[in-house]
Amino acid sequence: MKIKSHVMSAFLAGALATTAFSSVYAAEDTIKVGILHSLSGTMAISETTLKDAMLMLIEDQNKKGGLLGKKLEAVVVDPASDWPLFAEKARELISVNKVSAVFGCWTSSSRKSVLPVFEELNSLLFYPVQYEGEESSRNIFYTGAAPNQQAIPAVDYLMNTEGVERFVLEGTDYVYPRTTNKILEAYLIAKGIPKEDILINYTPFGFSDWQTEVAKIKEFGSAGKKTAVVSTINGDANVPFYKELGNKGIKATDIPVVAFSVGEEELAGLDTKPLVGHLAAWNYFQSVDAPANAEFIKEWHAFTKNDKRVTNDPMEAAYIGFKAWVSAVEAAGTTDTDAVLDTIIGTTVPNLSGGYATVMPNHHITKPVLIGEIQEDGQFEIVQQTPAVVGDEWSDFLPDSKDLISDWRKPMSCGNFNVATGKCGGKGS
Amino acid sequence: MITQMLFSRHEKKTVWAVFLILLAAALVPLANLLIPEDSPFHVPAYLVPLLGKYLCYALLALALDLVWGYCGILSLGHGAFFALGGYAMGMYLMRQIGDRGVYANPLLPDFMVFLNWNELPWYWYGFNHFAFAALMVLLVPGLLAFVFGWFAFRSRVTGVYLSIITQAMTYALLLAFFRNEMGFGGNNGLTDFKEILGFNVQAGGTRAALFAATAVALALALVLSSAIVRSKYGKVLVGVRDAESRTRFLGYRVENMKLFIFTVSAMMAGVAGALYVPQVGIINPGEFAPANSIEVVIWTAVGGRGTLIGPIIGAILVNFGKSIFTAAFPEFWLFALGALFVATTLFLPKGVVGTVQQFLARRNEQKKADAVEQAYQDKAAAKADSQLATLEPQAAE
Amino acid sequence: MYRAIQTFLVAFCLLVSCLATGLRAQEDIRPLIDALGSTAFPQKIEAVKALAASGDPKVGEILQNLSDGKLYAPKTGGTVYLEGPADGAYLDVLTGAPATEVPENLAKIKLNNGLRGAIGAALSQLTLLSPDRSARLVASQDLLKDANPDNLDLLNSALAGEKDAEVKATMEAARAVILLKTDASAEEKKAAIDMIAARGNRDALTILTAALDNAPDELKPAIEQNISSIKGSLAMWDVAQNIWYGLSLGSVLLLAAIGLAITFGVMGIINMAHGEMVMLGAYTTYVVQQTIAAVAPGMTDFSLAFAVPAAFLFTGLVGVGIERSVIRWLYGRPLETLLATWGISLILQQAIRTIFGPTNRQVDNPSWMSGAFEFGGLAITYNRMWIIVFSLGVFVALLLLLKRSKFGLQMRAVTQNRRMASSMGIRTPWVDALTFGLGSGIAGMAGVALSQIDNVSPNLGQNYIIDSFMVVVFGGVGNLWGTLVGALTLGIANKFLEPYAGAVLGKILILIFIILFIQRRPRGLFALKGRAVEQ
Repeated sequence: MKIKSHVMSAFLAGALATTAFSSVYAAEDTIKVGILHSLSGTMAISETTLKDAMLMLIEDQNKKGGLLGKKLEAVVVDPASDWPLFAEKARELISVNKVSAVFGCWTSSSRKSVLPVFEELNSLLFYPVQYEGEESSRNIFYTGAAPNQQAIPAVDYLMNTEGVERFVLEGTDYVYPRTTNKILEAYLIAKGIPKEDILINYTPFGFSDWQTEVAKIKEFGSAGKKTAVVSTINGDANVPFYKELGNKGIKATDIPVVAFSVGEEELAGLDTKPLVGHLAAWNYFQSVDAPANAEFIKEWHAFTKNDKRVTNDPMEAAYIGFKAWVSAVEAAGTTDTDAVLDTIIGTTVPNLSGGYATVMPNHHITKPVLIGEIQEDGQFEIVQQTPAVVGDEWSDFLPDSKDLISDWRKPMSCGNFNVATGKCGGKGS
Repeated sequence: MITQMLFSRHEKKTVWAVFLILLAAALVPLANLLIPEDSPFHVPAYLVPLLGKYLCYALLALALDLVWGYCGILSLGHGAFFALGGYAMGMYLMRQIGDRGVYANPLLPDFMVFLNWNELPWYWYGFNHFAFAALMVLLVPGLLAFVFGWFAFRSRVTGVYLSIITQAMTYALLLAFFRNEMGFGGNNGLTDFKEILGFNVQAGGTRAALFAATAVALALALVLSSAIVRSKYGKVLVGVRDAESRTRFLGYRVENMKLFIFTVSAMMAGVAGALYVPQVGIINPGEFAPANSIEVVIWTAVGGRGTLIGPIIGAILVNFGKSIFTAAFPEFWLFALGALFVATTLFLPKGVVGTVQQFLARRNEQKKADAVEQAYQDKAAAKADSQLATLEPQAAE
Repeated sequence: MYRAIQTFLVAFCLLVSCLATGLRAQEDIRPLIDALGSTAFPQKIEAVKALAASGDPKVGEILQNLSDGKLYAPKTGGTVYLEGPADGAYLDVLTGAPATEVPENLAKIKLNNGLRGAIGAALSQLTLLSPDRSARLVASQDLLKDANPDNLDLLNSALAGEKDAEVKATMEAARAVILLKTDASAEEKKAAIDMIAARGNRDALTILTAALDNAPDELKPAIEQNISSIKGSLAMWDVAQNIWYGLSLGSVLLLAAIGLAITFGVMGIINMAHGEMVMLGAYTTYVVQQTIAAVAPGMTDFSLAFAVPAAFLFTGLVGVGIERSVIRWLYGRPLETLLATWGISLILQQAIRTIFGPTNRQVDNPSWMSGAFEFGGLAITYNRMWIIVFSLGVFVALLLLLKRSKFGLQMRAVTQNRRMASSMGIRTPWVDALTFGLGSGIAGMAGVALSQIDNVSPNLGQNYIIDSFMVVVFGGVGNLWGTLVGALTLGIANKFLEPYAGAVLGKILILIFIILFIQRRPRGLFALKGRAVEQ
């Protein structure tokens, strides 16, 4: 029992020490920014880069004199790809470290895990990854693509430019591919593609033995119609998938694959020579020819001290999110959440592809959609670029969400207003 | 009987532990709600669910220790029971959302609505009642453990074979719950809860009450475990752990004894999961990951297996360390954690509690031995004196 | 009408150009070349077609340059230039002379799949009569895929002069496919159908299915019959293909598990760091490949030959280090090895993440491990084939080492009865360290093979550790044959379930199968025989 009481007292002392520690920090006159990206575990592979990008942006902002005359201070934590830990760390960032805004999360699970925390403690989260939509929170800004800013234009491109009539929707078995494929299926059927020309297939996370699936794709593609694969395969499983495609000799001119989760970072682990011509749809590519992008890449190489580090779409989304927050804080003259929430809507900041991104009342942003073809050097050749598209959080192609809209401006202030019933469903504050 | 046990001399440690836990159950919520924020004794709001989470983990580790520490069944699948209990609670909380979901559907949870489900799957019925959900928290993990154990123990699957098939079980469940078709929300799991028993889950009072409930549950589990291991049955369990065949040859039905303790332990894990979910606000298939179950084993080992207090201390210690390190050294904390595990095995093979116990026991023995030695020396000295005394006259002679 | 004229022109010009090169002046195609620099893809595709139709001898080279990304044009369209030897220097496309007065905003002409296809088709027309056999083969294969009726006359003339059997067969197939699309006589079409059906592969099925829709009614039964017979034979081959896939998956499982069969199966250490040894092997491959690419670029195809021993030695040494520093204190406490090795695995993962970064590293397939070949109806990829060979080789070598060498004898003696072995004069600590090193080294070699088909990332090991344990336990702890049979059984079972149940459910079913199987045989497939009631 003695041990027990010792441990308890040590524990309590430790807990008190952390609080004391943080209050010391709070005394310094800086504006704190939380960075909530996994640095270990399965998602570290994608998220670590975003942490570096955020540190670079913050350093850069400080060089320009900071924000509201104060320096920005990054608070980095590691939620270790563990979803409940995301919620715990988010709470800690807001309550203990008193951050003004948090930039972070990658998977939808992690965002869903922290969403109640941000709403409860009334703080801000900037989420920089493409996702399945069907969400709009007062406290979250979605700077990645909604399905209509990525998936639908990509399928349009396949149909119009490549003359594809038959589709394989290949995805990892989780919510983003499920929802995206649901939307795409409805969209394709609406466009007159018969149901038997759509094949939907799912594989587990981290799937590495693609022999059967690739053979199935090849078989489906041998029905005499031009066939394409729409891939929502998640991170880790992509490398073995593309290796199998390359080895099976499936060329882009035979069966093109358009991917929504494969960017420069994923291709860095691959020999892309057999993959030339396969496609990806994003809102940004490193190969974008714009002065802002050239500047960004130069800075990134200098910051990481590595000329070979690539940039990718979520980095651009993080960039836009950060710039929008900075500009909204400057407009509000304070980092207070409610004030920033008021000023950020309508804020327009330059994006990296030579255009502008506007934060819309639904907390999504406007983005151009770029279709790129994989090149031998692991970069993308942009073959199509649309004008900026407004992110559609409630998809028009799902029966239950087509009547919903989101508008966080006063007086509506509702994330899920049903235009058919004229009511704000659920939790509109 | 419990009162008898409480005052029994052997249970002093457990009594103290129960007392401390109950004290925490009362003090933490009070310090959070009543003491003003600027006081040094105030427990900040963010710490309450965090401490609650540690206590849930402690309960889970205690459950594992019952089967591993006392019966020698190394389960690498206890996370599955924890998660199942959590899902049962999560389903109740989801049904409580009612029409406050984003699609305002009175019956279906949001994730079903946007995947075009038209009706509630049959296994979701009943979960709108708390009592039913509470029953399921016990029954679902209990039943799974019972069926699994029934087959496994009857076939005399032991040792690493058993460990690996429990791991296969939790891995299969992980994959199954990832599937959206299962109707449990796929990888996003169940989240965005609103109310529990009519109280807002995000309110400070509810949080404090949940913490208190967790502490009480842990105290009760500790009392129950203690009663089990101190009973005659518990002694035989240890016999099963140390020499299974001999126990069987003595006429005990080893498989039934294992089955009982395995099922009880699974139910305790289920309760831990159920208390965990409203406090962290999410349950998803990640809880089924084999790595999580291995971590539970590690907490137990760090604290000291085969002691009831060890796993509680181990779970709190390791998770507290994790909370601190992930914020203080986000890039390097895995080194610290890994080193902790290696060091514990090498230098504290019986865990923190086991080692301290051993140390105390040795000191006691040493004291006794010293006393004996002292007595012997005194005696010898006295004898020598007397001899000397008898010799002296001779010398003088 | 336009199309008919174009068709005529293509055939005519190609024939003419073959007979009399240089008939047209070079400058005539200059506007067509400059059209390649236009901004819209449809215009570029038209330009490619027109260029191919022009019959100019320079066209082949120009299109090749376009396909290689060596042509530049102003972003807004305009004169096209050829990339020069130096940065920023450009040449005239036709003459190859350095260009003067180059506009500033030159950019590489972009290709997309449609354009790439058009270039391929145009080049294949141009190379169909090439003296190079492989060029003709590629061209005829392209024609078979493209099957444009415009190319019929060209194909006929090429067929007349073709000597090589394989090229000729491909050309005939292409001709048959084209015939089905034209309004040739029914007999000719019938012959064409038989000719295609005789190929009997999936491509033939594709062609016939496509032809079915617009075939004349009297030919439909013949086509349908051929389709069903091809489908029948493909179904047979599918079984064989599934077995092959299963063997391939099984060999990967075998490789991943076989090191564990030593450290866990033979030594009884619950080695959670096994996956990290595999990962270290994969990273060794990466380092070796980078080093060889830097030191001796000509040797890159053989980097794996260096990587295998390097990975074995490196991970073996790491293994010996782990055994000496940690594991040796834990003999007789098997469950505690779980704890310690889990800690080691966390440290190793984070160490790799700190050194190499968290993202994937690129390990290239050597040329002899790229691509695929057809064996009857089987599509076999080289990398999978070599991995099967490699894993069986490792298995046999390990078996020989254990059963035939002095070290193997000592190792078995130590693991069976440590004290007795020690009494016989065997240095047990030394044997322990080498055994653990051997198991780790084999895991490292597995990493070399896995780097060829999977991600090289810090998480690599985590993906295989559970499967490895399943294989070893399913096969029977302590029995190498059990590991072999277990790995191949699970691999094949998985691949037979996958087409029906889907990949996710298939894996769940396999796990349930293992759980049930262990109930029937609590000591795995090949239980060690012994007299003891329990261990």
